[in-house]
Amino acid sequence: MKIFIFGCLISMLLMGGSCKESAQLRAGSEAKVTIRYLTAPDVGGFSKEMIRKFEKLNPDIHIEMVEGPAAPNTREDMYSASFMAKEDTYDLLYMDIAWLPKFAAQGWLRPLDDRFSKESQAEFLSGDIEGSKYQGKIYRLPTQSDGGMLYYRKDLLKANGLNPPETWNDLATAAKKLQSPPQIWGFVFQGKQYEGLVCDYLELAWGNQTTLMDGEGNVHLDSPQAAQALGWLVDAVHKDKIAPPGVLTYQEEEARHMFQEGKAVFMRNWPYAWNLLQNDQSPVKGKVGIMPMVHGNGGISAATLGGWGYGISSFSKNPEAAWKFIEFAASSENQKLSYFKSGILPTRKALFHDAEIVKASPHMKELGQVLSHAKARPAHPLYARISDSLQMHLSAALSLQEKPEAALAAAAKEIRLILTSK
Amino acid sequence: MTARRSYWLNWVYALPALIMIAVVNVVPMGQTFWWSSGFGRLSSDSRLWGVLRNTTMFTFFAVSAELVLGLAIALLLAQKFYGRGFVRAAVLIPWALPTAVMAMAWRWIFNADYGVLGDIFYKFHLSSSPNIPWLASPGLAFFSCVLADVWKTTPFMAILLMSGLAAIPSELYEAALMDGAGTWRRFWMITFPMLKPTIAVAVIFRAIQTFGIFDLIWVLTGGGPGGKTQTIALYVYDVVFRYQELGYGCTLTLVMATALISFSTIFMLLLRPKSS
Repeated sequence: MKIFIFGCLISMLLMGGSCKESAQLRAGSEAKVTIRYLTAPDVGGFSKEMIRKFEKLNPDIHIEMVEGPAAPNTREDMYSASFMAKEDTYDLLYMDIAWLPKFAAQGWLRPLDDRFSKESQAEFLSGDIEGSKYQGKIYRLPTQSDGGMLYYRKDLLKANGLNPPETWNDLATAAKKLQSPPQIWGFVFQGKQYEGLVCDYLELAWGNQTTLMDGEGNVHLDSPQAAQALGWLVDAVHKDKIAPPGVLTYQEEEARHMFQEGKAVFMRNWPYAWNLLQNDQSPVKGKVGIMPMVHGNGGISAATLGGWGYGISSFSKNPEAAWKFIEFAASSENQKLSYFKSGILPTRKALFHDAEIVKASPHMKELGQVLSHAKARPAHPLYARISDSLQMHLSAALSLQEKPEAALAAAAKEIRLILTSK
Repeated sequence: MTARRSYWLNWVYALPALIMIAVVNVVPMGQTFWWSSGFGRLSSDSRLWGVLRNTTMFTFFAVSAELVLGLAIALLLAQKFYGRGFVRAAVLIPWALPTAVMAMAWRWIFNADYGVLGDIFYKFHLSSSPNIPWLASPGLAFFSCVLADVWKTTPFMAILLMSGLAAIPSELYEAALMDGAGTWRRFWMITFPMLKPTIAVAVIFRAIQTFGIFDLIWVLTGGGPGGKTQTIALYVYDVVFRYQELGYGCTLTLVMATALISFSTIFMLLLRPKSS
């Protein structure tokens, strides 16, 4: 309750503050339209530069970027609070792929099908487009791509005459050979009970020819392939002992610290880690390779899709001006700028082969390959509940409270119940 | 005439406080009742029972440890010794820290790879490795959370109990000394019985706070592993904010309130003075 009241206060403050500002603006120039959106702190200064350019081209539109908290779920709550009150505080949303089904199901987002044609959609990575849809309609113009992948120590593999692994078993074999715990572990991933664990697990499940939920809403978690995938992860910690026991407390940053300090051979993580690993102070600079996540025997690699993009609020009074801005933001030119300024991965396919980008970062070709395998998590308005149930049982299996088959069977049962509850 | 006038005047004086209470207490409570829905779901909610059990166990262990430690500290600080003021202030520091901040610090202390607690255990030969994954297994994670909470809130318990100690007339002790009662006997015959009402208030205070614990656990484990440290406040947060089911969230807070009211009633009856 405390948090709820706190959230209300914050949103009231924000709304109060912004009303005052827009009133001042209206007094300044009568015809000027203000488009407001909430986003993370503008690291690297890309957004500010883009907005300056846009305002120069469109003198009748003023873009107000509100730099909110860095934690995405806090911004999600801020957006929700404003939409629940049916306020037009924000014309635009800069949103995570995971928010989309929930927001679209509430009717808070404007469908973009009239403006965002099928032909232009084809220029983007297919995963990013699929993740922008809800019940057949498109609600988001993707501008930042993100997908899970495997980082490995090129130098260590080479010195031992090993090829990068393709299957889980390859990875376990190589890890066992190269590790000498506790100085250096074989494999680190995100093992804490939270959304990251679901992402890590789904990559293994997809790579073993199964899935959490298919297009018709059937749950496949109690399949033998799903149990195999979880069994491998549990064994990695407890039987093969290639992952440290503390991995059950790891989020992205804990895993990256281990890997960056040279304490792990393989790491599952998101693309953001690349720039940090290649930093001048990084002990593993120049020693790291990336590749799609390993898969089961007979499967193909898969990546969990993350990523951000712009949507338009149903409550906005200026959807035309808002669309003008997001179309501008998603242009090739601006995506290139955002890559160089802020390290944001593009969503347009062509940019992964762009001469300038590839010259500056040769790994972009491999990244393009990883992202072309990327799959979205189920687009369901009740996804948060589905994920929580899965998280809990995955974590229970990893901490040996439940056997993999039993854990997934229980999760499947709960998720089916959630799906029929509404 | 004057009595009547002062009667109304008293109400006028009380008005600002009454309005304040109405706005911050009565209105939100009324809204909780008004908004609550989905009572039928309570019995079939598999997560609720696990969460209630976790919360009850957490409250029981944390408050018991705080009571014992807090009483010891209170008895110690009630003695007269050089620098008592300084020690009293120093003891309060953990309680004065914002919970989220101190929880971040504890997360580092419990860190499996770099944590200082594992290192201390290793240096004292209590563990064969400095890397102890405190928050990775259910039992250990649970008691790690209890430990952090006890560290933070024992001072509060100590302060409450110290106020109770100060209210015990020193003549009682003097009389007991005359009769030749030892330290232990004085504690059980005088201090403890006289302190009972204060203990009741302190325990109920702490139990109510602990039952609603959110920030500490949110930072330390997020409810994991396997949901074994998830408390009801974390569940309510999920239901209201992440699942956007305000009605059911309100119902859950009513469950919480009911549990606390029954606990407080039982506890008050148990600690009721025998004479009455």
